[in-house]
This record gives sequence, C-alpha cells and structure tokens, in this order.
Amino acid sequence: MAIDKQIQEKINDEVLYKNLKNFASAYKASKENAYKELDFESLRKRVYDLKDRNLDKVMHQFETFRKNVEKHGCKVYQAKTGEDACRYIADVMKKHDAKYMVKSKSMTSEEILLNHYLEKEGLQPIETDLGEWILQLSQEHPSHMVMPAIHKTRQQVAKIFSDYTGEPVDPDDIDAMVKIARKFLREWYFKAGVGMTGANVAVASTGTIGLVTNEGNARLSSTVPPVHIVLVGYEKLCDNFHEALDIVRVLPKSATGQTITSYTTWIKGRTPSVNNADGVKETHYVFIDNGRLAFFEHPKFKEALKCIRCGSCANICPAYEMVGGHVYGDRYIGSIGLILTALYQGDEAAKDILKMCIGCRACSFNCPSGIDLQSLISDLKLVVGEKYGINPIKKKVFKQVVAKPNRMKSLLSTGAKFQFPLTRTCSTNQEKIIGKVPMLPKEMDFRKFPALASKTFSKRFYKDGYGEFTSDRKVFFYPGCAIEYFYPEMGLAMVKLLQKSGIQVDIPKKSACCGIPAIASGDASNAKTMIYNTLNTINNIHDYEACLVLCPTCGGAIKHEFLDFTKEDPNRYKKASMIGEMTIPIGKFLEENNIRFKIKGNKKVTYHTPCHDSRSLGYSAESFLKNLLGKKFIPLTDSNVCCGFGGTYSLDFASISNGILNKKIENIQATEADFLVTDCPGCVMQINGGLMHKKIDVKVLHLTQFIDEYLEIVDNK
Amino acid sequence: MNQLDYFLDRSAAVGNKNHLLTKDEFVKEFTVEKYQYIYIPTFKQEKDIRATEKGIGAAIIEVDYAISETGTVVIDSCNENLRLASCLADELLVVIPLSKLVESLNDVADFIEERTSASGGYVAFITGASRTADIERVLTVGVHGPKEMTAYIITDL
Repeated sequence: MAIDKQIQEKINDEVLYKNLKNFASAYKASKENAYKELDFESLRKRVYDLKDRNLDKVMHQFETFRKNVEKHGCKVYQAKTGEDACRYIADVMKKHDAKYMVKSKSMTSEEILLNHYLEKEGLQPIETDLGEWILQLSQEHPSHMVMPAIHKTRQQVAKIFSDYTGEPVDPDDIDAMVKIARKFLREWYFKAGVGMTGANVAVASTGTIGLVTNEGNARLSSTVPPVHIVLVGYEKLCDNFHEALDIVRVLPKSATGQTITSYTTWIKGRTPSVNNADGVKETHYVFIDNGRLAFFEHPKFKEALKCIRCGSCANICPAYEMVGGHVYGDRYIGSIGLILTALYQGDEAAKDILKMCIGCRACSFNCPSGIDLQSLISDLKLVVGEKYGINPIKKKVFKQVVAKPNRMKSLLSTGAKFQFPLTRTCSTNQEKIIGKVPMLPKEMDFRKFPALASKTFSKRFYKDGYGEFTSDRKVFFYPGCAIEYFYPEMGLAMVKLLQKSGIQVDIPKKSACCGIPAIASGDASNAKTMIYNTLNTINNIHDYEACLVLCPTCGGAIKHEFLDFTKEDPNRYKKASMIGEMTIPIGKFLEENNIRFKIKGNKKVTYHTPCHDSRSLGYSAESFLKNLLGKKFIPLTDSNVCCGFGGTYSLDFASISNGILNKKIENIQATEADFLVTDCPGCVMQINGGLMHKKIDVKVLHLTQFIDEYLEIVDNK
Repeated sequence: MNQLDYFLDRSAAVGNKNHLLTKDEFVKEFTVEKYQYIYIPTFKQEKDIRATEKGIGAAIIEVDYAISETGTVVIDSCNENLRLASCLADELLVVIPLSKLVESLNDVADFIEERTSASGGYVAFITGASRTADIERVLTVGVHGPKEMTAYIITDL
C-alpha cells in the first residue's frame, strides 16, 4: 500500500489515536518521575561512552564472551545473515525433535523474521510475552518495541482470545484476559523442547547475558525447556557488569518510565536442568551480523548501534503518536526504526518512511544512549533524496527559485502585488490572510495561510530609515525567508526594540534562504547552494556583538548544518563556524544583555517553545516570560512538543501535521490565555493558521511583537 | 531519606508488602505450613519441592542482597528448584537481612560476576510481582509468575 494511504488509514483509526495520545502523556509523567533526582545527561553520557567503539573492540568483546561460554560447553554460532540465524535455530529444534519453542520478546527475531521461517519449516514458535502472543494469534507484527500491541483495544484482544480458546471472553475484563494468557502459556513452557530469549546486554567478562522483563516470561523460557537459545546482536556486548548495570539503570526508565522492571535476569549458560540426561541445560548463542558489523566502522552510522531498544524515541515522537509503529518504522520502530530499516534492510525499504520525520529533534534529546537520531535521519534523507529523487515540483522550486535569491525576491514581490484577489481579513484577529487557496487539496485545508507582506522586511528596514541608525554597539540580524516575505513586522519590532537600547542592527544586503527546506526534503545540492548564498551575505562578523535570529530553525541551520555542508571548503567552514558561534535567538540576547522590561496591560499569556529554540539553540523564553509576567503567565502543557509545522512537511504530510497541531491547540485552549507567544515565525504560521481556521480567538505573537506592543523597556540608568 | 526508607519506598511503589521484624518476631510469625517452598538458610529453614506446570501456592526465599536504589532483591537462583519455585509460585515472599541492603545497582556487580563466572549461573533481580500492561496499558499482575510479593526485612541481622 502506498505510504499516504497507510498514513490516512492510521489517522482515521480512533482507537490508535486515543491509545497513543494517552500513552504519550502518561509516559512523560512517569519517565520524569523515574529520573527524578538523577542527572539524565550524565547517565546517558555513560551509556554513550561505553557503546562508543570500533569493530576491533566489539570483536574483542565477542571473543572474550565466546571463550567464557565455550569453555563450559555452550555453543556459539556467528550468523552472517538473518537466514543463517533462522536456519541454525531451526536445526537445533529439529535435532532435539522439538516441534515447539517458547520465545520471550526479541526485536532481533522480528528483524530476521524468525517466526515465518520456523513456521515454513513446520516448526511452531510460541511468543510468551503477552503483547507478542496477542499479535502472533492475530498474525500481526509489533507497533511498538516495548509495548508491541499498543494499537489493540481490549475488545479486539477479547475477540482474539475468544477465537483461540473457543470460549466467550468478557471484553471489559482485562484481568480475566491476562488469566487466559497465564493458563495457556503456562502449558506451552512445559510442552516446548526449546526456549529462546534475546539479550539486553551480553557481558564479555563472564559470558553472562542480562534480560530485562516485567512478565517473567523470559525466566520461564530460559528455565523450563531443556535447551536455551540466545539470539543476540553484537552491539549488545559490553565489557563488564558495571557497564551492563549502567544500561539497566536507564533502559526501563526510558522504556516505560519504571525505575526498574520486575525482573532483571543474569544468565550464564549450562544451568542445572533435570530435563536433560546429564542434568545440565544445553545453551546456544546465536550472534547475528545481518549488516551490523560493517557499520561499526562507519563514521556516522555506527551511532545507531548504540541503541538499547528502549523505544523512547517512539514514545516522544509527535509523528509516531499520529500514525503508530506499523507506519512509522518497519521491523524496528520509531526514529531508530527509520534508521535501522535503512541500515539493515536497505535504503529502498526506508526511502518513504524516512520522510515522515518532522525534524523536531525530540528523539535526539531523549535517547538514553545519547544518539543524535534526528541528524542520522537527516543524513539518510539526503542519501535517499539523491538516489531516488525528491518531489519534482519541490526540486524545481528549490533550484529555480529558493536557491536564486534575486529570482525569489522578484517572484514573491510580484506575488505580493497580485495576490489581492485572494486575500481577505481574518474576522477573529484582523490579520491579512489568503481567503481560499485555489485547488488546495482538502487534507491541506486545516489552517489559514498568511498573505505575503506587501513590502519585504529589507525594503521597510531601509525605507523607514532603520538602516541609518548607527552606534558603537552593533548586531547582525539574519531575517530568513519567513520574516523577509511574510512577517516583516516581527523583524521591525526587534529592530525598534534594539535601537531603543542603543544598538545598531545591520541586515544582509540580499536575503537568502538558510537551506533547511532543501535539507529536510533530501535535496543536498540545492541546500549547498542556499547555504553558500547565505554565507556570502554575512560579512565582517567580528564587527558585531552577535548574529541574531528570530527563526530558530534558521539559527539552528547556521550553527549546525552550515558546518556539515562546508566541510570540504576550509574558508567557508571557518566562516560558518565563526558565525555559528555568534548566532543566538533574540530572547537570549535580551536576557544576556540584561535589557529589562515591565508589562503594560493585564492579558494572560502562554508560551510555545519552538523545537529548534530549545533543541538547536539551547534556549527557551519560558522563564523570561514567567519572571516578567508572574501570575499572568500560564504554562502550556507540552510547551516544547512540536506544533506540526516542519516547513514543507506540513504540506507533504498534511494530515500528520494537522493532527499534531490539533493537540497543540487543545493545550492552548486549556490555558484560557489571551495570547500565545512563541519565537519562531514557522510556529506562528502553523499555530495562528490553525487558530484562525478554527475561529479561536487567541492572539499569536512572536516574542518581539509581544515585547513591542505589550512591554516597556525599563531604563537601567 | 535513609537507605532503608528509600528501599521501602521503592518496594511499596511496585505494590509490595513490606514488614520490618526482629529475628525473634520473624521466628514467632513463621509457620512452615504456609509455604510450599522454603529456602531461608539463616534460620535453617528449608522445604524443597519441584514446582510443576500447576504452580505452587507460596514460596519464601532468603535473598542475597537488596538494593535501595530500585527496591530490588537479588537472589542467586542457579538451583533449579528454587528458580522454578520463584517463577511459578502464586505468592513470593522474601527474607532480607538488613545488613544485606546495599545502596546502588553497581554494588552488586561483583556478586553477579562471581556467581556467573563458572559453568551455569542464574542471578535474579526481582522488583515486584510478574506484571504486564500489554492490554490497553492497564497494569495487571500475575501474567506468568507471582501475583503478589512480600518482603520481611530482619532488622537485627
């Protein structure tokens, strides 16, 4: 099925919507509680460091592990491919004449499609994790790495169990359904000839595996049958128990928000087992490569091998929350799922799903292994963009318009002149909008679009005389496309404010795009042109105190992406690095320079934290506003969760964007605030557009406009 | 919060019942008949049984360590009957000599290392009953193993 159809199907699934939404909010609270009193940054740094290794190191860990288990008679098999691993496991079952194998949850077995293989061989694997068992009975695959059946309702489970047992099952009695699982799965442990588990960690110093579970099914699977097979990826190896425990400390907290799971089990092969003639368990370790080992030597993709499979990148992903793991991922799910699909299954399998990342970077900041997931996705988007092409209209627009500043200016200026038949004034806030966009597909009609400004920011800056103000204190302001063409008033508000404080503001001679729209769409070559254009417009940066941005996405690009795209050109790289270091959002500049304000009026204000403010520039204006406004500041639930904009994402994946926006609007309405302040023109475009579309009377202001209209500078002298 | 309070807090948070007793109080309260499986070497109490598919009622086991960081008990479960009993009992009870309470997970690293260095080793961290939230995220206990867990902390041991 084409991806847009799959997305639509999931968007329309009310059960999925409700389950994922409830989970997302419950998860955040319990995770916060689980990490209370702990320093998350230092914990994840520890995991990152212990997982940071090259192929030599991993193979050394493997050899140590192997030696430690083989000396006691355990078998170790190195599977090159998924099929090798499947075949080995089937052979062990056949050798023991075992028709049944009980399995605890293993994402690695999902990766290699083990169950399909065994069933084709006439063998029967039985999933013993409740969620996995439900899915096995309904012939589905997991939609979450830790909560595989999160997309199912109790009614659906009751039907599945009723079909399986042939007895009626009360759809409201979850306790009774769990009892059914207990009864039937208990039988299977004792019928099975082989038990299989994965491993959350494999400790080289002794050859011990660690298993993290809540149900206790891995304990039974590894205890009752006479044979134990461990299926494990090389990346799960670590040196010793201190490292293993550092992983165990974060895994459950990030996975489900539990301090620790009910069971953490440390197993060394060849345990006592009366079901074997010699009284000792037969133990096999299947170490799987399936493409992993090559990536230990890759400068960037080796990061993905640091994953501990907690699933938290899905838990906090706003796009996952809209569509679930059957669409947002493949065999692996969430941000890491997009990446591992590309690495293990190939870019063809990943080319469509990679685009679903909105680029909010929440996953990168949330990963307990410290993987910068979003940047890996962004890199992979460029790879598949190059190889499979991007949307041809977009490509054309990037190449012919956005990458050519003069042409963009003349085209948009013409647009501004001739848009009047389409523009009208929005009744709720008197802003100029496009009344009806011609031929706009229905799913994209969820927000009002702002009209192009009649005069660009640069034009007004010079025409109104702001360019004539001089001072010893100077800052450079990079307006970016949104301020230049749609919201000049945000830029002018900032200029006025700074000039009142005696600071000269210089702007680029020519406006150029920062390249983010092209990068996010996977168009590397046009992104490079745009970045070079921008760099050409920013000169003598050392004459300035700072490079200011009102769009944190542009700011993030200057700080981060500009470096990636100038790597091969030392002069440009040096320039990008200098500018990047000086780039800060306006709010931070005001705070750092101790420019103080007092409030006029009595309005209630709430604040949305733009993704790239907090996650690319390390700033949020929340505390600034809170201190200033006191009780008139109403905190917004999930303030730092994406608004769903993502630039052209909101057109490419309009229904996901709309879904994310609706949640933002619900939270805004719950504050009963008069104003929503934020400091990103993209967020303003999205949120204000949505509020106008729904005719909700909350005024949306960029921080600079709010300051200009509702605050007064307090004279420090 | 001291180490013991921390342990009690974490243990209660996962639904465990906790009792603080002296040796004498424990001996007075202890009734062999209540349990199908007993392994409390400190009190020289043992009852061996091989739990089967049917499961058993209650198992009481002395732990090797308890960890306040997480409210966890650590049990060397290499003995197969002990392991089966702790997996298949409806109710798991544990006896914790207070002196065996340590602060952090890393404090038992050496213990796991030692107990899993040779052939065959099985060290269990147990923190509450067997639980699942796989149906609509509703927390349900007893999905495969014990439905409840009780800890006796012996304060003068």
